[in-house]
Formats: sequence, structure tokens, C-alpha cells
Amino acid sequence: MDTLLIAARAVHYAATISLAGPFAFVCFVATPEPSERLRRRLLLLVLGSLVLTLVSGTGWLLVLSARFSGQPLIAVLPQGIVATVLTRTRFGQIWLARFVLVALLALCAVARHRRPGRAANWAGLVVGASTLASLAWAGHGGATPGHPGELHLAADMLHLLAAGAWLGSLIPLALLLAEAQASNGPYWAACTRLAVLRFSVLAGTSVVILFAAGLVNTWFLAGTVPTLIGTLYGRLLLAKIAIFAIMVTIAAINLLRMAPRLVPVGGGRHLTLWAAVDHLRRNALIEAGLGLCVLAIVGSLGILPPGLHTEPGWPLPFRLDLGALATRSEFLLAIVVALAGVCMVTAIAAAAAGHYRGTLIAGGGLILCLGFGGIILRPTIEPAYPTTFYALPELYADASVNRGASLYAANCALCHGTSGRGDGPAAAGLPVHPADLTASHLFAHTPGDLFWWVSNGRGDGVMPGFAGIMSANDRWDVINFIRARAAGLISRHIGPQVSATSAPAIPAFAFETGSGQQTLSGVLAAGPVLLVLFSPPPSAERLAQLAAAQTSLSAAGLKILSINLGRIGMPEMEPPPPLVGISAEVAAALALFHAPDDGGETDLMLDRAGNVRARWTRSGAAGLPDTATLAADAIRVAQLSAAPASHAGHAD
Amino acid sequence: MVNQPMIAAAAAFTAAVALGSPAARAHAFLDHASPSVGSTVPAAPAAVTLWFTQQLEPAFTTAQVSDKSGNNVGSGNAQVDPNDPTELRVPLKPLPPGTYTVAWHALSIDTHTTTGHFTFTVSGG
Repeated sequence: MDTLLIAARAVHYAATISLAGPFAFVCFVATPEPSERLRRRLLLLVLGSLVLTLVSGTGWLLVLSARFSGQPLIAVLPQGIVATVLTRTRFGQIWLARFVLVALLALCAVARHRRPGRAANWAGLVVGASTLASLAWAGHGGATPGHPGELHLAADMLHLLAAGAWLGSLIPLALLLAEAQASNGPYWAACTRLAVLRFSVLAGTSVVILFAAGLVNTWFLAGTVPTLIGTLYGRLLLAKIAIFAIMVTIAAINLLRMAPRLVPVGGGRHLTLWAAVDHLRRNALIEAGLGLCVLAIVGSLGILPPGLHTEPGWPLPFRLDLGALATRSEFLLAIVVALAGVCMVTAIAAAAAGHYRGTLIAGGGLILCLGFGGIILRPTIEPAYPTTFYALPELYADASVNRGASLYAANCALCHGTSGRGDGPAAAGLPVHPADLTASHLFAHTPGDLFWWVSNGRGDGVMPGFAGIMSANDRWDVINFIRARAAGLISRHIGPQVSATSAPAIPAFAFETGSGQQTLSGVLAAGPVLLVLFSPPPSAERLAQLAAAQTSLSAAGLKILSINLGRIGMPEMEPPPPLVGISAEVAAALALFHAPDDGGETDLMLDRAGNVRARWTRSGAAGLPDTATLAADAIRVAQLSAAPASHAGHAD
Repeated sequence: MVNQPMIAAAAAFTAAVALGSPAARAHAFLDHASPSVGSTVPAAPAAVTLWFTQQLEPAFTTAQVSDKSGNNVGSGNAQVDPNDPTELRVPLKPLPPGTYTVAWHALSIDTHTTTGHFTFTVSGG
């Protein structure tokens, strides 16, 4: 059924573009139309595309109805599923509207043929553009919520319209050029020159829009370099962009080399001109063929989950850690990238125009830029593994951390030690010292790096691989535990001053309040949080203090979460509040963030990402924070949250 | 004329580094639930509520809550909230202590179906 859907989508995109394109052609390129015969051919093209649009659109609807309902394809009509889809889903309603638009377009085409004129052309263009643009709602573009969603949808529509204007005009242009060749007169030479010139403007504008809107879409759906080169979605997208680049290069050859030859040479002999027309016609057909390849890819892309939702397999043995780059180097790199882009564009344009010396010079510049860029990027090269960019399938939360803790004790503690410092009972006898899993260096590696080592071993087999011993989910649990424990230990070095340096995030957890269950992430979404961890239970006086502080700190956007690590279950509702209730699992995970010598209370200031930005303990030299300090810190943390957290860097 | 792959890659690189990725929300995935995924709650909830990352199509979105032996413990059909189409609610019969599985099948408005399941436990304590 996937193949059917991909085919229906690809044919529908192509047919809709071919349906709308001729209207753009007669409005922007061939005004007035040079001959009655061309008009007849364009009508046939529109009607043929119209039939294909309806057939493929119906196919798309049927296959989706089958997918929505889980019923076989033959059952969707008799069971009334298609009717439900048409009336009760957004896709169906858009489809109904689009079928009406296609019928209107048929009317426009016939009216245009009966009584040629600008009104019918423009009416057809508007209806055709609507038919094409409304396809955006059928894809990923219509799904992003809120204002970013509107931007995504607008970009998607512009992308469709630009593609339609350019691709859809190629076949009409080829038809016009064929007519011109057959007639071979001065009238047609003038028509061709004008049409090619106008087409260049249309195509050029479309390419700029396609590129800009395509960047917006890539940002929304592929997002990062790993997802671009590590997922099927990303690779198809790159293939699409590569074909697009070839099409643009052909367009550049047309514009820079062929178009100038359309000027008649003296003596009325138009040999060069007609040879150029022949070239242009062939190039238009080649571009149209490449355009079909692009649409076939579009057909597949729409049914794949976007790159950001799949685990990217990393194909290279290294990665670039641009976060490690100094600001000055970043600035230099941006200049080099811009220069490289200019050199590349110049090289291609010069080649297309036939200035091969220019190509060589620009190519030389490009190689220089690449060399210089390589020197700048050298310090950012880190070893990488196929799993480096895997997203955590096990949520970094209390449940996973606790499962990981017992798995760690059973499988890892023998060498890495109960504390994780690499001092287990078996460590002394090993040729390579086990890694210290509590160092801040741990966070210089991605969870995917750790997953690779846990799965496949390290140090020439000194550390065994655990792929055959623990399930993949168990291995991720161990990684979550190791990271939570290290985050807890690192947080002890965070002082009472808020600074750009933070300790890595606290695991996610849920807690009970008088009014129901809430999550840390839910509270953090509203602003910074002061997490107060008590063990043993706090005095009533301290709780009253916190309750009073909360009242005045609400204005600063700070929420206080007070937790008694020694008490499991419902929240303590007796006045004064606000002690929230937690499960034993949450207590065990949060205990990693509380030092035994804290005097009974640890206060952690968390930014929106859950990173620890400041820390106070009852036994600490700075004591516990007062309300004024907390209010000032909350504002600072809210500002800092916008910038990426800087953890301690790579040490070796 | 423009060499797209290089620029696109460079731009994606820059975007990823400078801005971080936006939350791409194609396909409806479970964002969070009440009771939370995998959580233990002391008292039996009156309903399970699921929040998704995208708007749902009510006609083709379902969720079922079942006990250890697979019996449906819902007291009615799963309903998408008309005011917030990302929210799906399943009303429950009074639940005795035990572990319950929530299995969902969601159709997002961009025509993609997703499925998933999770458990929660009522401790009764």
C-alpha cells in the first residue's frame, strides 16, 4: 500500500503542476499567444493533466482511507469510510474543496479556448494556484502548531507555487519552441526571443523562492546535519536538492549561453538562432524529466516520518563539535563558508557561460576556502560512531535511572566501582584503567557514544560489549543512570552564584500536589524552579519560611518545589504547604542530587532545561538563600536559559 | 546557478548550531499523559488523559485502557477535546489497585497514523 500511496502522491503532484503550469505560462511568458495551434495544444495538455489529477487524487483519497481505518482497499468505499474521511477529517474537507477547484479549472480552460483573453487566463491562474497551494495542507506543512506552523505552511505553499510556475511552464515552453522551429520565420524568432527572456525571469524568481522556502522546510523537518545524512528522509532530501542543483545548472546554461544566441546574426541567416532554439527545447524537456524525478522523491518524502523523528545512523568515523569552537573561529568560519559559496556559484555560472578561465579561478578560490575551513574545523573533530546521534529511546526520567542503577550494580560496578570512579574490585588487574564515569568529561560525549561503548566494548576488548547481555533498552537505562549520577556529583561543585556554567539536567519526574499530579517539565515550562530537597524532614518554621517566600517569588516567575526525600506518598497538606508528594523511585533518583553532608537541606536553582544553575546547602559557607537573592537569581536564570548551557569541556 | 547542497548543508549546520532545532511536529506523538507514563498513583484516576504533539482527527483516533488480564476498564469511548484537539481523554470505571495498559492509535491532521502504549499503576495507598 506504501508503493500505491507514493505513486498516487507523485502522479498527483506532477499532474497538478502540469495542470496549473500552462496558465502561468500564458500569463507570464507567452502573452499574447503566438498561434491558434499552440493554444489548442495547451488545452489538450490542461485537459489531460486534469484527468490525471482527478484519478491520482481519488487514488490518494482511497489509499489514505484504507490506512486511516486499517481496512483493505476494496472495503473502504462500501463501508462508507471514504465518506467519513471526506466529511470528518481535515484532509477530506480539503480534498472536497480541491475537487471543486479542479472542476472550476476545467471551466476556465474551456472558456479560455472559446474566447481567448486576459481575464480567462488570470482566472485560470488564480484557481490553478489555489489547487496547487492547497496541497500544502495534505503534507507535513499543515501540521506544525502555532506561529511557527503558519510560517511552515506559508513556506510550503510558496514552495509549491514556485515549483509549479517553473516546472509547469517547461512543457508549454517546449511546445512553443517546437512550433517556432517548425515555422522557422522572423515572426517566430521574435516570439521565441521574448518568450525565452520572460521565462528566464519566471524561472529565476521561482528558483530563489524554491531555495528560500526549501531552507525553511528543511529546518522544520530535517533539522540537523545528523538527521540530514543519517536518515532515509534526510538522504532523499539531499538527493532532491542535488537534482534541483543540476536543473538550476541547466537553467544557467540556457540563460548564459543559449539566450544570447537568440539575437539574429546579420544577413538574415538564423542558423545559430535555430540551433540555440533546438538546444533550449531539449534542455526544457531534460529539466522536465528531472522535475519528475524530484516529484517522485516528494511522493516518498511525504509518507516518511521527518528526519527529526527517526534515529539517525551516523556514517562517518568522526563528527564536528562546533560547540567547542571559539566565537572568533565561528566568525572566521562563517566568512569562509560565505566565500566558498560565492566561489562555487561563480565557478558554476562561469562554466555555464563558457568562461573556463573564470571557472578555474573560482575553483581555485573554492579549494583555498575548503583548505582554510578545514584548518579552522580541525580542533572540533571528535571520534563518532554509528549510534552517536541516536536519540534516547528511554526518557531521562526517574524510572529509567532506577532501572539503570540496579543494572549498573550487576554489570558495571565490578570494574567501574560502586561509586563510578573506575575503582571497582577488578579494576587493578586490568591493562587499561576503567573510565571514571563521574567526571564532567562524560558529558563531552553524546548518549549515543556511550551506547556504542556499552554495546560493543572499548579498549581492544578490555571492556566487553554488553549487546548480547543487556537489551538495548537496558543499556539506555544504564546510560541514563550514569548520566544522572554524574550530574548529581557535578552539581555539588556548583556554587551559590548563578553563572553561565551549570551542572547537567535533573532527570524528569512526576509529583503529587493537593490538586493532582504534575511533572517537573510541566513546571519548568513556566519558568525557573527552586528544588528544595530535605532529608531528614524539615522544621515547620523552615516550611513556613518557604511558603512565605513562594508568595513573594511568584512575581519573579520562580516556583518552589519542596520535597521530603524521606517520605513517600501523598503531599503533606497540613499547613504550612508546600511539600509535594513523591514515589520511592523519584526519591531514589533525586537522592543522587543531595550530598550526605548538606546539613539536611539542598536548594537547587533549575533553569528551563532542568540544568542546575546555583546550589545552596544548610551546612554550606553561604548558607541558604534569602528571598531577595532568589528573586534576583530567578531573573538571571531566566535570561541565561536562552543561551545554551556550557558544561565542562573535553579534557583529553 | 546556486549550488544548493553545500549551502543547504551549511545553513542546516548553522541553524542547528545557532538556533537549535525547532520542535518539528509532523506526526502525532504522545507528549505526556495523566497519570504519567510509567507512574504509580495512590488513588484511582477517573480518566486517563493523553496530550499529543499535534492535533488529532477525532474520527480515527482511539485509546483503550485495559487491566492485567486484558479487560477494557474504560467507561466510555475515548474523546478528543473539541477545545484542544491535541488532547484525548478516556473515562474510566473505578479501578482497583493494579497495573493498567493504555494503548493508543492516533491519526494526526497531516494524515499520519501513530500507535503506542504505556502502563501506569494504581497503588491504592
